[in-house]
Amino acid sequence: MTAPVFEARDVVKLFGSFRAVDGVSIRIVPGEVYGIAGPSGAGKTTLMRMLCGLTPSSGGEARLLDQRMPGGRRQVESRLGYMPQERAVYRDLSVAENLLFFGRIYGMTRQRIGDRTQELLSLMHLERSRGQRADRLSGGEKQRLSLACALVHEPGALLLDEPTIGLDPALREEFWQYFHTLNGQGRTILLSTHYLHEAAKCSRVGLMRRGRLVAEGTPHELTVQAANVSGESDPDMERVFLILTAQPEGGAQ
Amino acid sequence: MRLYRIGAVAERVLRQIWHDKRVLAFMLFVPVLAMILFGYSFSGDIRDIRVAFVDEDATDLTATILKTLQADDTFEITVLEGRVDSERLLVESGYQAVIRIPDKFTSLYYAHFAMGVATSAQGEIDVALDESDPQIVSAVMLGLSDALMDLGEGGPVSVEIQALYGVEVRFIDSFAPAIMGLVVAFISTILTVLSIVREKVDGTFSRVWISPVRRAEFILGYVLAFGLIALVQSVLVLSIGKLVFDIVINGSLFWAFSCVILFGIGSVGLGTLLSALAQTESQAVMFFPLVLLPSVLLSGMMWPIQAIPAVLRPLSYLVPLTYSNRLLRAVMVKGLAPWEEPVGFAGVLIFVVVTIAAASLVLRQSAQEAG
Repeated sequence: MTAPVFEARDVVKLFGSFRAVDGVSIRIVPGEVYGIAGPSGAGKTTLMRMLCGLTPSSGGEARLLDQRMPGGRRQVESRLGYMPQERAVYRDLSVAENLLFFGRIYGMTRQRIGDRTQELLSLMHLERSRGQRADRLSGGEKQRLSLACALVHEPGALLLDEPTIGLDPALREEFWQYFHTLNGQGRTILLSTHYLHEAAKCSRVGLMRRGRLVAEGTPHELTVQAANVSGESDPDMERVFLILTAQPEGGAQ
Repeated sequence: MRLYRIGAVAERVLRQIWHDKRVLAFMLFVPVLAMILFGYSFSGDIRDIRVAFVDEDATDLTATILKTLQADDTFEITVLEGRVDSERLLVESGYQAVIRIPDKFTSLYYAHFAMGVATSAQGEIDVALDESDPQIVSAVMLGLSDALMDLGEGGPVSVEIQALYGVEVRFIDSFAPAIMGLVVAFISTILTVLSIVREKVDGTFSRVWISPVRRAEFILGYVLAFGLIALVQSVLVLSIGKLVFDIVINGSLFWAFSCVILFGIGSVGLGTLLSALAQTESQAVMFFPLVLLPSVLLSGMMWPIQAIPAVLRPLSYLVPLTYSNRLLRAVMVKGLAPWEEPVGFAGVLIFVVVTIAAASLVLRQSAQEAG
């Protein structure tokens, strides 16, 4: 059995008496593009932060690359690329300086960072903005820079928290092309999104609502499941979400 | 232009402030703090200068001088007996002045009246001073001169001044080390606060946090950057001081810069600590006066600590710049090594150790919040 890249075993996160994440179990194996989909406040970000060891869980077990989080984070940190929901770039540094910083903290040589910068700027269509300060970039360019910062040290696992938030449809499409390119290069991707129709582009999807995983499967499996429940033929992913989350709790497969 | 739109904008701004209770609290706290500190500080006279009084003549006349000095709140007089080593009293025992009335003072004083203009005889008083704080020197000389005037005889007294470090120190000479400390403390603290709060707001903090960067590395990165900035700032202050104001620098520049950088490191620690209290950049900006006001008013930078009212004086000893001032003045004006000013040196060292240790704990907390 292949060891999972990301794994949550009955994970719980409490903020006071509020259960932000409530007994979620997921398992993402190498080569997958797994999407956690759900509306704002569903617990997606909290789950992802537990999976990368940024925040401890209140119960259950979160694992990254076979290490229990957050304790084992140091063993695997250089193999993970993380893109937080905020754009998370240094506004007063240029595009190249941002990549230089993130490369250097992962111990890369300047030469290697220079080469990598060239590759990433080319992939993200940012070559012309190389010397531009981050705060002068457009929203889409900042988002691309943020993704590039997560990729500079060539991680095998990517954790992308709402990577397409705030982008126009054309840019979102462009981002999905990046994700599939990166996946094609052998990277495992766990991403969250509240754009439910985007979840259909993932190899597997987990639907979250109020801290719980209400359904999980390939987009096709979820569509079939929703069609069986509602009698609708070929519902889109938004309908799938509404149909499956209307089911009694504990409906996750 | 529409008045209702102006009103709407104003209302929105006021609502934002109202919703941000930290900004609101600062807005109310800072003017209160400023008024109290400025009010007290500017109305204060210099008090409790530690003076050793050695009366080798021991006559009614010299007892009158002592009595007048003792009645003056400016001084905290300690009467010493026998032969004394003035320099040791100043350097090791913490006295700021030693007033010695030699044997035969009274007879020489009265000889003038007996012999009239035919004699040059006059009483002589020796004053040994730590001249590194010119305001203390002025206060001592003024107090002594008042005490001599109070003798009422109008007799001639010559006051022989022995300056501890053998230089004439002007206000600017003792002010330059304080400016150096202030600039470094203010810039390092505020920029650290702003920078860390910005990291939290922008999300770069959590990104750095799951990278291989350790807390100690994060702090040391800041320390290194601000250490270099502190060095550049100190060079600028000293260069302007030397070139424009011709300030006296008796001590080693190496020690002066080392002490400033050490103080800068503590200021980075303080900035990191304060960053835990601010969630937004506007909250961070509110720390400006909180750092600046006590430093300027209570540290002995503008006036001696003895000029600060007794009720506020304990606060002076909580202000890090107080120790930096002592240390830098000792190093730059008196030409001492840092450890020869143990209070200032220990104060700055404790400031560095405590703030850096606390900063490390604060960063752990901030990282968890970021998570």
